[in-house]
Amino acid sequence: MPALPLALSVLLVLFLVLPLLALLLRGLNAQFLPTLLGPVVLDALQVSLLTTSCTMILTVLLGTPVAWLLARHDFAGKTALDTLLDLPIVLPPVVAGVGLLLAFGRNGLLGAPLELAGISVAFSPAAVVLAQLFVAAPFYLRTAKAGFMAVDRDVEDAARTDGADRWTVFRYITWPLAFAFLLEGLVLTWARALGEFGATILFAGSLQGKTRTITLAIYSALESDLAPALVLSAVMVVVAFTVLVVVRRLGSAHTSR
Amino acid sequence: MILKLLASTLLLTLGSASAASLTVFAAASLTDAFAEIGRSFDAATGNTTTFQFAGSQALRTQLDNGARPDVYASANNAQFDPLVKSGLLSSGQPFLSNRLAVIAPRNNVKIQTLLDLSKPGVRLVIADKAVPVGDYTRRMISAIDKSGAYGKDFSGKFLKNVVSEEPNVRQVALKVQLGEADAAVVYSSDVTPALRPSVRVIALPTRFNQSASYPIGILKNSAHPEAAQAFVKFVLSAEGQAILKKWGFLKPPAQPATRISSVAVRAAIMGDDAMPTVRARK
Repeated sequence: MPALPLALSVLLVLFLVLPLLALLLRGLNAQFLPTLLGPVVLDALQVSLLTTSCTMILTVLLGTPVAWLLARHDFAGKTALDTLLDLPIVLPPVVAGVGLLLAFGRNGLLGAPLELAGISVAFSPAAVVLAQLFVAAPFYLRTAKAGFMAVDRDVEDAARTDGADRWTVFRYITWPLAFAFLLEGLVLTWARALGEFGATILFAGSLQGKTRTITLAIYSALESDLAPALVLSAVMVVVAFTVLVVVRRLGSAHTSR
Repeated sequence: MILKLLASTLLLTLGSASAASLTVFAAASLTDAFAEIGRSFDAATGNTTTFQFAGSQALRTQLDNGARPDVYASANNAQFDPLVKSGLLSSGQPFLSNRLAVIAPRNNVKIQTLLDLSKPGVRLVIADKAVPVGDYTRRMISAIDKSGAYGKDFSGKFLKNVVSEEPNVRQVALKVQLGEADAAVVYSSDVTPALRPSVRVIALPTRFNQSASYPIGILKNSAHPEAAQAFVKFVLSAEGQAILKKWGFLKPPAQPATRISSVAVRAAIMGDDAMPTVRARK
């Protein structure tokens, strides 16, 4: 191997791996288990699991039809809508948080009608879910749309000529064929939702056991008791690694078909 | 022509070489006042001072992990003294004191007295317990609890109403400014001209209020110890103190050196006015 590219590669790899190694070394110590089972960490894990689960369900329920429509139908303003739906991926999360506050906050656009209905969104676990949905759902939309576009239209048409109705075609042909894409999008969405910080702290606040997710707990623990922060960070490194492995598996699943 | 230009450039470079670029870490509550102090200090000395404002506890974590500014101003001793002990800071001195203020959105009528803070369904926002103002807030409610003035378990009901524990005092104030919280506990100095139109200050009897003393100190391995010293001196000077007063801060707690005026200082700090903010500024 040529020396210079090799040396530079080693440098970059070391740079990328070293912080992860440091996190694991500091986090996975003798105190790991007791700290993991402490209330700070357990509460954060619980809040994160609960909110990201809700976000996943909403993403699939609301995102799948949108992705399918975008993949299968042409209409005026489709390109504009497509771009608009991608916007949260590029938008700084803190801007998303301000937007959510100005839309759903007590003094926001929908604030008055929501208050009248007795619904107070800001500072609730629902606000965490909305923040996650806003910043993460576009990842699902993108991959799901690509999945639906990759499905062979001839197969669907064949089923339709055999008398299958639209739902049956979707249920037995389109969905299974696009499944690997959908799953990959969902995993990416989950990872993004899990790591959400800026929009959450602004729109949902930070309260242990209620709105304090793993990332918020790491941030707040860093300022007083380092141990939970290190444990949670190590957990996040492991989770992130697992997510990537899963996504790669799924990626190869839909190319090998 | 070109020679002239070169000469003036050289002069400028030489001139600025003697002026230091100073970095100051300061508690979030000092944001407005220190920004103004920085401008006056730079104008007077030719230095370039940059600030990083955050919760004192966040700044302390950064200092503990290798951040090397020249000056650190904390909102309490708890986030300051350990740094002196570990040898990062040369010993500091108090340079101002501050008081708490309970604020509510101006157009929100839910909160009229302190007692309302313990009513069910009220949304309170306070600072995290590691944040100095969050610590003072908890001392305030336990003082109220001890007095028994607002019935049994005031602090329990108060804490049950807390919907968010924020990482610094300015984030706490923001949530009231946006009208998202029914009430919050901040420093009286946080009721800045920018905030005042949107909030009301709820009367907080002096016996429940907490006196926050802010220490300032120089980092031991500051690259510009003289400029850092000059900055601290400026903050303590009449000019610096006038700016701090303008932004609603009070004089530092009485020091042995200023014993003569300690009665006056104490009167200024412990004044029986329930709302020092309103009184401190016109």
